[in-house]
Amino acid sequence: MKALWLFLLLSINVGAEVKAVGVFYFNPFLGHVHQSPARRSPSLTTIQCGHPLKVIEDPNVTVSDEWSYVSVADWKGFVWKKHLTTKRPDCFQSRYPKFYDALSLDLAELFYWGRLHDHWEEGVAKP
Amino acid sequence: MKILFLLLFSFNSLAQNSTTLPQEKELDVVDFQNVKDVLKKDGLMQEVQKKKKEVLKIKEIRSDEEKKLYNWPTDNEFWPIATEYWLVKQAPTLMWDFDRPDYGLTQSFASILKTVGYIQKRFRLLAIDSPSPAHLSLPWTSDELCLVFSVPFARSMDLSKLEISLLLLEDVLRMEEGWLKDFATPANLKDLLGSNFKDKKPDLTPIFEVSKGYTKFIQEKGFSFQQQFTITKKMSAILKPHPELWNAYVRLLGKIDRLVKGNQVFSSYVKLYPSPEMQIRWLAPEEKIL
Repeated sequence: MKALWLFLLLSINVGAEVKAVGVFYFNPFLGHVHQSPARRSPSLTTIQCGHPLKVIEDPNVTVSDEWSYVSVADWKGFVWKKHLTTKRPDCFQSRYPKFYDALSLDLAELFYWGRLHDHWEEGVAKP
Repeated sequence: MKILFLLLFSFNSLAQNSTTLPQEKELDVVDFQNVKDVLKKDGLMQEVQKKKKEVLKIKEIRSDEEKKLYNWPTDNEFWPIATEYWLVKQAPTLMWDFDRPDYGLTQSFASILKTVGYIQKRFRLLAIDSPSPAHLSLPWTSDELCLVFSVPFARSMDLSKLEISLLLLEDVLRMEEGWLKDFATPANLKDLLGSNFKDKKPDLTPIFEVSKGYTKFIQEKGFSFQQQFTITKKMSAILKPHPELWNAYVRLLGKIDRLVKGNQVFSSYVKLYPSPEMQIRWLAPEEKIL
């Protein structure tokens, strides 16, 4: 009987598929796709404002309300939900591309700039 | 037969005299005036003019769009980039990329702002693991605040969320005065903001100078006694209608005063914010001379 339950559970798990929720766009200036849903978790890749990300649902991956599970290029990782928008954002990089190029940010700067956006705590004094 | 020949000859010579030459006929064919007239009649000239205008307009739009790519950011867009650039460059010294719990400071600070009338004000906070600067407001946009606070500083005095929020409120008032921004603004920045650098080499020295300005202000210049007096008096006026906040502010200044006098790690605090002791005195009720 136990073996039958185990078989049933396994077959349910195998049958469950990764589902695409939709395409979202990265909103901050720079940021990271994280290995796990935590602020300081290692970065899989650095992305910049306007980068499209496929938000996915995987029954084998549990995500809190604050994070989204995304697929980008060959990576599958986690991005703050608050950093995603449904419409392509009006990014600094696209408004001032030559100025941005002239900044000539190196890899370490790009990495830290992305990290910075993981650390900002944003709020508003609501009435 | 002779008569017929004569007639033909005479007709031929007549025809040659009265009609145009073949070359002239050819000219007739390529007579632009004639072509123009025909085109005018068909309305094709107007069509060509219309197309020419359209092409010109498209070229102008494209040229404008290409020119826009070389724009300098506006004042509102420059400062967040300059501030973040400084924070990125200072990452090793400020140590903001560290593990920390959620202090719930966002809600506490929002509540203080709301209490003192900064309704709908947006803000962003960054916790740092360095003891200095203990707390600071950095230039950002006109409708959002950017604040930094030191976790070791808050921890060493066991500051509550309310006390940290009061310190940050001080910084909001300082930012409104614009002292740090004015100090860090290079002379040529105002001319560059919103300008265009097409066909020129982009000069990004102002962004580097802003960074140097921030560091110099924090490490060397600091706020003056007069500026501290202005802020303390403003804080007092803002907090007076809320006695519990006013009392918490006075107690907080006392804590800081004791810390900076007793702990060497935070002795540089008074360089940036002179002086907690004087601030307490400025808050004390004025003695009436009878």
